[in-house]
Amino acid sequence: MSGSSLGDLSGRHALVTAAIGPLGRALAVALAEAGADVSLTTLSGAREEEFEANSILNECWSLGRRGNAHTLDLADPAAVEAALDAAERTAGPVSILVNAGHSPPAVPALETDLQAWERALRLAATAAYVPTLAAGRRMRGRGAGRIVSVVSVLHDRGAPGGALIAASSGAVAGLTRSLGVEWARSGVTVNALGLGFVEGLPGPHADPATSAALERYIPARRLGRPADLAGALLYLVSDEAAYLNAEVLLVDGGVAVHA
Amino acid sequence: MSPVSFDLAGRVAIVTGAGSGLGREIALALARAGCDVAGAGRRPGPLDETAEAVRALGRRALARPTDVTDSAQVDGLVAETIAELGRVDVLVSNAGSYLGIGAKPLAELTDEEWRAGLDANLTGAVYCARAVLPHMTERGSGRIISIASGLGLRARRDDYVYSIAKAGVMQLTRALAVSHGRDGVLATAVAPGLIPLDASEQERASMGARQVAGRVRRPEEVGPVVAFLASDAAGYLNGVTLSLDGGAAAGGVVPAGIGAPAATGVAAARPTEAAP
Repeated sequence: MSGSSLGDLSGRHALVTAAIGPLGRALAVALAEAGADVSLTTLSGAREEEFEANSILNECWSLGRRGNAHTLDLADPAAVEAALDAAERTAGPVSILVNAGHSPPAVPALETDLQAWERALRLAATAAYVPTLAAGRRMRGRGAGRIVSVVSVLHDRGAPGGALIAASSGAVAGLTRSLGVEWARSGVTVNALGLGFVEGLPGPHADPATSAALERYIPARRLGRPADLAGALLYLVSDEAAYLNAEVLLVDGGVAVHA
Repeated sequence: MSPVSFDLAGRVAIVTGAGSGLGREIALALARAGCDVAGAGRRPGPLDETAEAVRALGRRALARPTDVTDSAQVDGLVAETIAELGRVDVLVSNAGSYLGIGAKPLAELTDEEWRAGLDANLTGAVYCARAVLPHMTERGSGRIISIASGLGLRARRDDYVYSIAKAGVMQLTRALAVSHGRDGVLATAVAPGLIPLDASEQERASMGARQVAGRVRRPEEVGPVVAFLASDAAGYLNGVTLSLDGGAAAGGVVPAGIGAPAATGVAAARPTEAAP
C-alpha cells in the first residue's frame, strides 16, 4: 500500500469478483475513479455475466485504467488462480479484493430443496471463499492487502423468506470475522459491507408501495444507493482503515438498529 | 434422571420490584422451583401479598420495603435477607419503570427525567449487584439475573432514557460476568419485549398481530426463564442476555407487513443464476 491516502488508490490494483450487476459496476467504477487499476470476474461464467463484466471493464478503461475481465466460475479454484495470474501480469499485484457478491432469491424455506441450498451457497458463499483465499495468500506473502466482501444485513438476522440469503451471508460474515482475526498480523484486513435495501437491486422494494413503506421505516428515510456502498468501500481499502478489521460494516441507513 | 437440575430447593433469592407485574411472577416461579424469596419494592402492601403467595407455596418469604435507588436501603435489604433467610444465592434485579416518560425528543427531556429514569432502571441494579457481591464471592457461588429489555438492543425514535438504561443493564451483566465468573458468581439477563401492563385483551391481540410470534408475551412467561437461569442447569451461562420476545430481535429488518414470503430480498447482485 505504497503511500496512498484516503480516496486516492493510484498504483493499486483491485480485483472485483462477481462484477455482474449495478452494485459490482458502482464499486468497480468507484475504485477506478479513485485511481486504481481494476480487473473483474464473472460469477458463474454465464454469457450474460460476461457481457456485463466487459461493459463494466470498458467503463473503467474509459477512465484510463488498466485491468482485464475474466469469465469464470468463482467456485473453481484453478480458474480463480489463473485469473489472478493473468490480472497481475496485466496490472501488477492485486492488493484489493472486492467480492461484490450475489444474493440468492428470497423464497420460503419449504419451497427450496437441497439443490437450491447448495446452489445458493456455491454462488453466494463459496464464490467469496475461493477468491478470498487465493488473493489472501498472495497478499499475505506481500505483507499488505484489503479484502472486502458484500453481504446482506441478514448475515446475523432472520426474515421470512430469507433462509438462503441469511445462510450464505452468515457464512461469508463468519469467514470475514475469522480470517480478519487469523490474518490480523499480516497486513491484510478482511472486512464486509452489510447491505440493506438498495436501489436497483432485487428485494421487496422493487414494488413501489412497499418501497414507500420502507422509506418511511428506514431511519435514513431513503433506500440505499450503490454509491453509498462505494464510499464505505473506498474507506475500508484505504491506508487509514488499517486497524479496522474483521468487521461487518452495515451500510443500511440504520435499518438494522430499528426496534 | 437428568444430569442437570432445575431444582432450587434450599436456595434464597432476592427479587426487586416483587410487589407486582413481572417481579411478582418471577418471585412465584422461583418459589415453585423451591426457592425462598425476599421481595423488595417500594410499596409494603403488594410486597406482603407476594410474600403470602410465596408462603402458600411452602417457601419462606420476606417482604422488605426498599427503594433500590438508595444504596443504604439496598445494603439493608441484603443484610436483612442474610439475617432472616441465612444467605443469598440469587439476585433478580427486576425493579424498573418506564416512568411515563415514553418517547420524547431529547431536547424536551428534563434533567430530572433523565436522572430518575437512569436511577430507577440502571442505578438500582448496580447498587443491588454491588451489595450482594461480597457475600456471593465469599461463598464462591451466586447468580445475578437482571431484567433488561428488547428496547436496549435496538433503537426506537425519540426513546432515550429507558432504552439507554436497559442497554446499560446488559453491559452491567457482561462486566459482572467477566469480573466474577471466576469467583463462581454468574451474571445473566433477560430481555423481554415491552408489553404495557394495563393493555386490554383487545390491545394485546392487536399488538400481537404485528409481532414475529403472532402474539405478545404472556405475563407468566418470564418467571420460568429466570428460574432456569438461577438453576444448576444454567451453570455455564454467563454474561449473556436472553431475548424473550418470540423471535423479534432475530428479525426486525423489515417492518410489520413486509415480512411476507419472498419479501426480504436484501440483495447483492441481480438474481440471474446460471446452473452451476
